[in-house]
Amino acid sequence: MEAIGLHILIFAPFAAALAIWSLPASRGDLAYRIALAVGGMVCAIGLGLWWVTTGDADALIGETRLTWVTIADTAAGAGVTIRYHVGLDAISAVLVGLTALLVPLSIACGAVSIRERATEYYAWLMVLTGAMFGVFAARDVLLFYVFFEFTLVPLYFLIGIWGGPERRYAANKFFLFTFVGSVITFAGILYLAIRAADGGAIDFDLLRLSSVSLSTAEQSLLFLALFCGFAIKVPLFPLHTWLPLAHTEAPTAGSVLLAGVLLKLGTYGFLRFSLPMTPEGAVAWAPLMGGLAICGIIYGALISWVQRDVKKLVAYSSVSHLGFCMLGMFSMMSAGLTGSVLYMVNHGINTGALFLVVGMIYDRYHTRDMDKLGGLARQMPVMSFFLIIFVLASVGLPLTNGFISEFTVLFAAYQSKVLGPAFGAMGAVGILLGAIYMLYMTGKVLFGPLNEPHGGPDLHNGRLKPDLTRREIAILAPLAALVLILGVAPKVLTNPLEPVLEARVLARVAPHVAPAAPSGRRMAALLPGAAAPEAP
Amino acid sequence: MLLAAETASSLMSLGLTLPLWPLLSAALVGIMLASGRFRGMAHVAVIAGALVAAVLGAVWFVQLAPAGDGHGATGGVSMDIAPWFSLGDGQMVGFNYYLDGLTGVMLLVVTSVALMVVIYSVGYMKDHHGHRERGYERFFAFLGLFIFSMLMLVLAGNFVLLYLGWELVGLCSYLLIGFYYRKPEAAAAAKKAFLVNRIGDFGFALGIFALYQYILPHVQPGENALDYAVVFRHAAQLTADQVNLVCLLLFCGAMGKSAQIPLYVWLPDAMEGPSPVSALIHAATMVTAGVYMVARCGPLFANAPDALEVVTWVGAIGAIYAATMAMAQYDMKRILAYSTMSQLAYMFVALGCGAPDSAVFHLYTHAFFKALLFLGAGSVMHAMGNVIDLREFSGLRSVLPTTQRLMLIGCLALAGFPLLSGFWSKDEILHAALEHNFPVFVILLLTSFMTAYYTFRMYFLCFHGPLRLPAAAGAHPHDAPPVMVLPMTLLAAGAVLAGYLGVAIHWGSPLDSFLFVFQGHGWFHHYVHNGSMVVTPVEHGSGSAVLYYVSAAVGIVGIWMAWRRYGTAPQDEPDRKSFGPLWLLWHARYYVDEIFDAVFVQPLRALGRLFFAVDRAGVDGAVNAIGGTPRALGAVLRVAQNGMLQSYALTTALGIAVLALLWRFVGTP
Repeated sequence: MEAIGLHILIFAPFAAALAIWSLPASRGDLAYRIALAVGGMVCAIGLGLWWVTTGDADALIGETRLTWVTIADTAAGAGVTIRYHVGLDAISAVLVGLTALLVPLSIACGAVSIRERATEYYAWLMVLTGAMFGVFAARDVLLFYVFFEFTLVPLYFLIGIWGGPERRYAANKFFLFTFVGSVITFAGILYLAIRAADGGAIDFDLLRLSSVSLSTAEQSLLFLALFCGFAIKVPLFPLHTWLPLAHTEAPTAGSVLLAGVLLKLGTYGFLRFSLPMTPEGAVAWAPLMGGLAICGIIYGALISWVQRDVKKLVAYSSVSHLGFCMLGMFSMMSAGLTGSVLYMVNHGINTGALFLVVGMIYDRYHTRDMDKLGGLARQMPVMSFFLIIFVLASVGLPLTNGFISEFTVLFAAYQSKVLGPAFGAMGAVGILLGAIYMLYMTGKVLFGPLNEPHGGPDLHNGRLKPDLTRREIAILAPLAALVLILGVAPKVLTNPLEPVLEARVLARVAPHVAPAAPSGRRMAALLPGAAAPEAP
Repeated sequence: MLLAAETASSLMSLGLTLPLWPLLSAALVGIMLASGRFRGMAHVAVIAGALVAAVLGAVWFVQLAPAGDGHGATGGVSMDIAPWFSLGDGQMVGFNYYLDGLTGVMLLVVTSVALMVVIYSVGYMKDHHGHRERGYERFFAFLGLFIFSMLMLVLAGNFVLLYLGWELVGLCSYLLIGFYYRKPEAAAAAKKAFLVNRIGDFGFALGIFALYQYILPHVQPGENALDYAVVFRHAAQLTADQVNLVCLLLFCGAMGKSAQIPLYVWLPDAMEGPSPVSALIHAATMVTAGVYMVARCGPLFANAPDALEVVTWVGAIGAIYAATMAMAQYDMKRILAYSTMSQLAYMFVALGCGAPDSAVFHLYTHAFFKALLFLGAGSVMHAMGNVIDLREFSGLRSVLPTTQRLMLIGCLALAGFPLLSGFWSKDEILHAALEHNFPVFVILLLTSFMTAYYTFRMYFLCFHGPLRLPAAAGAHPHDAPPVMVLPMTLLAAGAVLAGYLGVAIHWGSPLDSFLFVFQGHGWFHHYVHNGSMVVTPVEHGSGSAVLYYVSAAVGIVGIWMAWRRYGTAPQDEPDRKSFGPLWLLWHARYYVDEIFDAVFVQPLRALGRLFFAVDRAGVDGAVNAIGGTPRALGAVLRVAQNGMLQSYALTTALGIAVLALLWRFVGTP
């Protein structure tokens, strides 16, 4: 049952893409409807699959394991096997759920703005959808890599064809950066598979590759190889320079999925591959990773603050936010890992929503320049309500989802034995800087005297109203509801996540974390019945 | 420690819902706004919510009273409600309450002042023709949200939940300061308030992290390290350095929220918000959160002598510093804002001198008279057509007689006039300072004089002298309508009588009992001792009443001096001549805003611009480096772009397979 659902998630969008592709170019409306129907279906299935996940790390939801390609090598008595092996544990299910949530919303947001080559547009969007589900479902590392790379193609065309004025440049830049990085990652994966085979048959089973014993030097180098692809994807400072351009130039749906889901491929890669496969390397490099994360937090925030283009501001804020995500992950603490995954989800919701709102403003005014746009609160009270909710979630206000992830991530960095208080304190500067640029944006766009370009909104011949339409409210309302629900009851997400993260990730890295300093009898003190080991 | 079963009555479970009623009312208003129906009823919903909260608050206040003579202190009670999120290591953060005498006082203050302010707002947010102001519903919804947030802050049973309330009241403050969002000053003031508070919150958050780190090794299984009850139980096990660090970091948060040096700069600007907001949030409740927090963390601060020293001096310097600025302003609300900062500083001195009960006593009396003063100023502003500059009007006692009488009571209480509530609480703080730190005592005594002086400068400039009206007021300004007078009257009663809860009746000689009758430390002090608060015990019946006479004299002389110089509301500003450049410095508020801007804001923005320039150069540089590649790749992609999706996908898959094979044969020896 779950397996069928998972197959539908991966293949139905591809089939829909083919169907939409074969429509005549004039049937854009039908293409929209097909895409939206498929989007709604995968949304229901994806969230359903997330709902049935448990905290059991060994029980994969909807597991399917088929041999895809076998290359026999008779000479050495070995061969290469690539499998179509999919299944969800709590970590991947959370991200599948996030993807499922954002897909129909990003389809719906194009209803007004996408008028040219609409059939192609929705076909590419469907291709992207299938690939994104494939990445998170894959349990075969090579299958993961195939989907990982494959997401580049539809996004390349989405940006290159339906993007802003600099779309070609942005698309090439995006493609090259991420492609070059992931080639090196690929080399690393191959090396790991060969080492795992140890002269025998090569396969790419995730768990098998996550339990290879490697020397310290190997781990260190392998970590760097994996780093190249994943860090660019995250993007980790200073490898982020492709992001602001791609985000800004992409059509709204592209920005939403890029920020909401595709950046998470990088953090997911670190969590799923780098940490368990090269635990010693990860711990050794953790201070550097934490340092880069903090640089990103501060650097991204300060640059966001001096933007005039709202969308670019939100784009740079992703650099800052993903820094928090990485900081939590490399704390090597349970709270940090959980917080990091929560951060992935919450950033997807909040930044996705911000891009949606910015898109809705752009649909009306055809500008994102904050010097030309201002005081919209009275003109668009409903939009303002939503924008303020997402801004507050973004700055980590308690009772919104953003608070839990930001707090736990910083908390973990502070308590961490590999990072420590200095990292926590530096990262916490971000809670101030984040508020600065977000409130600066809010103040410019919503408050002050009304400032409308072109003498008022372009209502697309009656397809829009001055304030949000019902369709637009229906897009934003679920995200706003999630902001509050996940802020009050984050345990919905973390209950299954925590044990799986501990079993799959923490258990691998924890042995390499240096024993705590004298003050750290804490673990022993917490275990009921365990006598505290008194160090002589 | 869970509540004993026999006390967990159904009344108590109703009491647990206390903060939810105002939240519910705010949500109702939200529904009204969204549906467009019953919008005129917005105030009814929020008044009902505030009323239920006030009734439940009063019930709690009575419930939390210590048994018998008050010496049978029972300590605080933790009540777990629901889990919230996990911190790993088996540690949880939950929704829980911590209830003791301090909670009881705060509940009483918050719910009663909130109810008064909400009622007052019904009149204030309408013009003279009874038309509702634009955003009327929004205003009441935010008020409801604020009451909820403030109640969460005072009921919170752990540090993260405290932080929750702390941030949420900050949000409401932001939304309400920016209520007139079309006004650029209001929008800027709102942003400033939020951001300056975030500077403090940065320290506050680090304080929580550090506290956790130090407490965790001491906690027992089943205890959550950030619960008040657990922290207070193990506080004595921390080293002095640890406690000092934690307390100083927590105090950063208090400096932001309670507007102390150097994070006070947002408070005067916050007066851009509607006057009821200034009364409730920026005078009576939210700004006292810092004082509350330090009093709450008594078991920590009691072991942190260095931190207490810092608290004392930040308070003492802030008290007189704010008073100097208050002496040279013309905006009534800003004068009151500086006086709020100054009075909060008094409370911090009390905290620093180990008299948190006196600090909370002053918090409690101050809430009534300062709310009254702001509502009175609001009434003046309402009548004057939103003009609040003292140079624009005078002699209003003839046209606003009710407001004038009520304001007089508030001013007397603030000035420390004998037998009014402010007199009793301020005197206690002077007493605590005298025992601990003589220079600080001198500063506070001088500040008391200045307080009386600037308060009555404001009063005389407004209500005395010849009648002058601004054009915006029209020919016949209206005094406050009954719906505004009623809450002000009740607050005025509080300003007169509230202090008597904290004085002891003790017949004796005039040297040890003020006017033969009164001594400090009454029932109120027993009440707040019932809980976590750490106080130096005061022997009753042995105090000296001399200080009462001194501070009474200081207050009266201050008022008299103001009468001499400003009794006729002169237009030529006598102080300006007397103090010369000093007065101008005070008037310009020490140019602190300008200094902050030049030292912090502009450099940071310049850094942002620099980074942005570097970033763009980085992009272009990278492109140049791989110069030809995009063009070559573009040529390939142009083929793929002709709709040949399948072939592209196939190419990728094939390419990967080829690479894999190559690696297999080339890569292994």
